[in-house]
Amino acid sequence: MNAEAEAEAARLLRWYPKTWRTRYGEEFAELLVADIIERPRSKSRTADVIRGGIMARLAAAGLGGGTLEASAQGPASLTALGCCAAVFVSLGAAMWSQLTVGWQWSAPDNAATTVAMVVMSAAILILGVLALAAAVPVLWTAGWRLATGRPRGLLGPAALVLACAVIMFVGARHFGNGWPGTGGHRPGLVPGGIAAFSWASTLSVSSYWAHPGALAGFPAAELAWMAASPLALAGLAGGAAALVRRAELPARVLDFETRIGTAACAAMAVFLGGCCAWLVNREPGNLFHPGAIDAAGAAVMTIALLAARHAARAARLALNRPR
Amino acid sequence: MPSRSTDRGPEPGLTGFGRYAGPATLILASLADGAKHGYALTKDIESFSGVRLAPGTLYEALARLQAQGLIEPVESHDRRRPYRLTAVGAQALRAHLDVQRQVADVGLRRLASGWGNA
Repeated sequence: MNAEAEAEAARLLRWYPKTWRTRYGEEFAELLVADIIERPRSKSRTADVIRGGIMARLAAAGLGGGTLEASAQGPASLTALGCCAAVFVSLGAAMWSQLTVGWQWSAPDNAATTVAMVVMSAAILILGVLALAAAVPVLWTAGWRLATGRPRGLLGPAALVLACAVIMFVGARHFGNGWPGTGGHRPGLVPGGIAAFSWASTLSVSSYWAHPGALAGFPAAELAWMAASPLALAGLAGGAAALVRRAELPARVLDFETRIGTAACAAMAVFLGGCCAWLVNREPGNLFHPGAIDAAGAAVMTIALLAARHAARAARLALNRPR
Repeated sequence: MPSRSTDRGPEPGLTGFGRYAGPATLILASLADGAKHGYALTKDIESFSGVRLAPGTLYEALARLQAQGLIEPVESHDRRRPYRLTAVGAQALRAHLDVQRQVADVGLRRLASGWGNA
């Protein structure tokens, strides 16, 4: 029976993340074995362990507060916040840049679409400023740490961030030349270069993926860019997350980043408000009709925003805990 | 009356624990008379409260309590690591139980005046 119980305990333990298993694994397995021997067929125990494992994974990812040490919770929550914001901005920029294409050809003829686009544009501008403000102290600290040789493990993420940033910049600049808006005849809502860059960098967010026949007609280079750019974006976000986790950011930088993250959540909410106003508008204008991909994007952006707010709260709580 | 927990962090007592306040109270109360490991905690809590904390819930609460500095692990060569109450944990438990006692006193007094012994 003991062997069976131990095997069952080992199976259940796999629901928990590695860091948690390293810390609590042995003692938790002992308790599980005792519990399994006492209540061999308990389904509620299995459900409880699965729930606990999922919560531990969310906490390890920075999306839940309270179970990590304060020194680990802040960076973990900030990286979760950053990743959620990256997902939000990628989808939001894709949607926004498509709308700017329409504006380049013809301004919307109703107030609701105009207001929605102005709100979205203002929010995306604020998000851009906040992203720059957040990046500067992290890059400065990481650069300083790299120069002084501690802690180890920063070189890889720093190289990844640099490489992916270069790929995104060069690729988006190159493919931005094919921006449909450049054929428009009137000034757009935002400078054409910015809109073209945003359009090209989010070219992969496309409903064409659901229509392979139409996709096959695309130039090979554009298809390659549509496949490679999400990987570069993921590498950029992943590298930045590793930098934040490993750079041992000082408390004042963590505090600053948490404030930026909270402000970013507010800006994302404003953007989503504008986006929803456009989506529910029954007469958005000929060039501004939303599609199923926009509704799906808004749904994912809502989830990303909720997760980002959760992570921001966890980061704030960590800052106020004794270290 | 205690205020709700805020983003400023946990206040004295267990108001920052939200839905984990119940298991946390039981664990702290159990540890108040000495260090115990997970299985001993489960048995002790069941004996004095009639509540059997499931393993996942128990360790989720233990991790939170430890992260907040209310309990700490005791050095052990056994695979079953015991935990003990810290001074901060004792203070938090006392504050929480004082509030609970006030609630119980008020409830019992009102029950007695409104419902008698029924």
